[in-house]
Amino acid sequence: MTTRSISMASLRQAALALALGLTASLGATLAQADTLRVGMSGGYYPFTYVERDELKGFEVDLMNAIGEITGDDVEFVTASFSGLAGMLDSNRIDTIANQITITPERQKKYLFSQPYVYDGAQVVVRKGNDAIHGVEDLKGKTVAVNLGSNYEQLLNELPYADEINIKTYDSNIEQDVALGRADAFVMDRVSATQVIKDKPLPLQLAGQPFSRIENAYPFRDDEAGKALKSRIDDALAKLRDSGKLSDISEKWFGSDITQP
Amino acid sequence: MHALDFDYMLGLVPILLGYLPLTLEMAAAGMACALILACLLAVIRVTRLPGLNAFALLFISFFRGTPLLVQLFLFYYGLPQVLTFLVAINGITATILGLTLHFSAYMAESIRAAIVGIDRSQTEAALSIGMTRAQLMRRIVLPQATRVATPTLMNYFIDMIKSTSLAFTLGVTELMGATQKEAAGSFLYFEAFLVVAVIYWIVVEALSWVQKWLEQRLNRAYQR
Repeated sequence: MTTRSISMASLRQAALALALGLTASLGATLAQADTLRVGMSGGYYPFTYVERDELKGFEVDLMNAIGEITGDDVEFVTASFSGLAGMLDSNRIDTIANQITITPERQKKYLFSQPYVYDGAQVVVRKGNDAIHGVEDLKGKTVAVNLGSNYEQLLNELPYADEINIKTYDSNIEQDVALGRADAFVMDRVSATQVIKDKPLPLQLAGQPFSRIENAYPFRDDEAGKALKSRIDDALAKLRDSGKLSDISEKWFGSDITQP
Repeated sequence: MHALDFDYMLGLVPILLGYLPLTLEMAAAGMACALILACLLAVIRVTRLPGLNAFALLFISFFRGTPLLVQLFLFYYGLPQVLTFLVAINGITATILGLTLHFSAYMAESIRAAIVGIDRSQTEAALSIGMTRAQLMRRIVLPQATRVATPTLMNYFIDMIKSTSLAFTLGVTELMGATQKEAAGSFLYFEAFLVVAVIYWIVVEALSWVQKWLEQRLNRAYQR
């Protein structure tokens, strides 16, 4: 959880930065070695979400388990999804635990840990909508995706992409499909299934998953990022061997989504 | 149409109220800094201080001419790529800074209008009895201008409280960010956003009472 009240330090920072006309030289909150700052949206059920003021989910459990092995203090930083990459780039967090899918474009920019979730892209529609049976039926339809997610790109790569009206959202795509403002949304199969099972929204899966995706932790491509990547890869391997990784998956999904 | 989940709403109230102090503190800090900056800008504009006047014009033009969200992203995510030491500014500080810069541009113009609105004959009278320019400002113009500017400045303060809801995009979990995350966990959007709307409403309503009281106080000299 982030700090709830303004510290004197941040007020002082504000005053100083103002006084110096934004030329402040503030070295107070630079990265500390033993605190692992993990960014997540807090809005991606059941991977990361908040219930009664408590941050929960698969990503939270797994990262805490990793922290126990590496000895790092895990500090979760929540921000809207579209802000997370900017926070990683500007060294405000060290990695993102938000089902980040490995793509060639992202690999050019970031280092990735070993994948820890194997999943597929899934089309979801409003309950009772039997006109859409999968990704091939999205021609001429309005499809909601999250801003900056790889699903937007998956849709754009389809041969008939220009016939799909892609709407990008910062949050709440499930709600706009449930309300009928968009015909379908695309997200990963695992959380789509879970949302439909657990939550009161009138939604249903449309057909089979259409693309295989592998999700992992991204790191900045520098020395510190490399060190962190190998530390986390070691921990992931240990959790995989001990069966703890599968246990966490079973707890949240009733199935093992961590195996290739 | 589903029935409202009242238990969920009641349970949410104390949780969300826990984030209200941060929202109010960011707005109050932003307001205090913005008032100081706005007064400086207004005085520069009124007196047409050579050199600084052009800067004040540019400042007001930029911060009034671009959306607050754009400014926040520009300073929080954009600038640190160019000036890396700016990474040290955290989300809360960046929000206060953004609110300060953005709203001071608006407030400077209403303060300037209030100052310019004081009748010229008063200025002439004060100067004729030997007051300096600084005395004139402090004793004659500013007390009257304060009274004129107060309602508009309170309006900006109300706007500022509501604008803190943008801070979640910078990773600050304030009132709105907390609500979004709770709604994402429960999928009870209507309940969650209704609760937060009522909280904002009550806060602003309470402020309107403060404003009324303040205006009456400032009006005392004018009552017979």
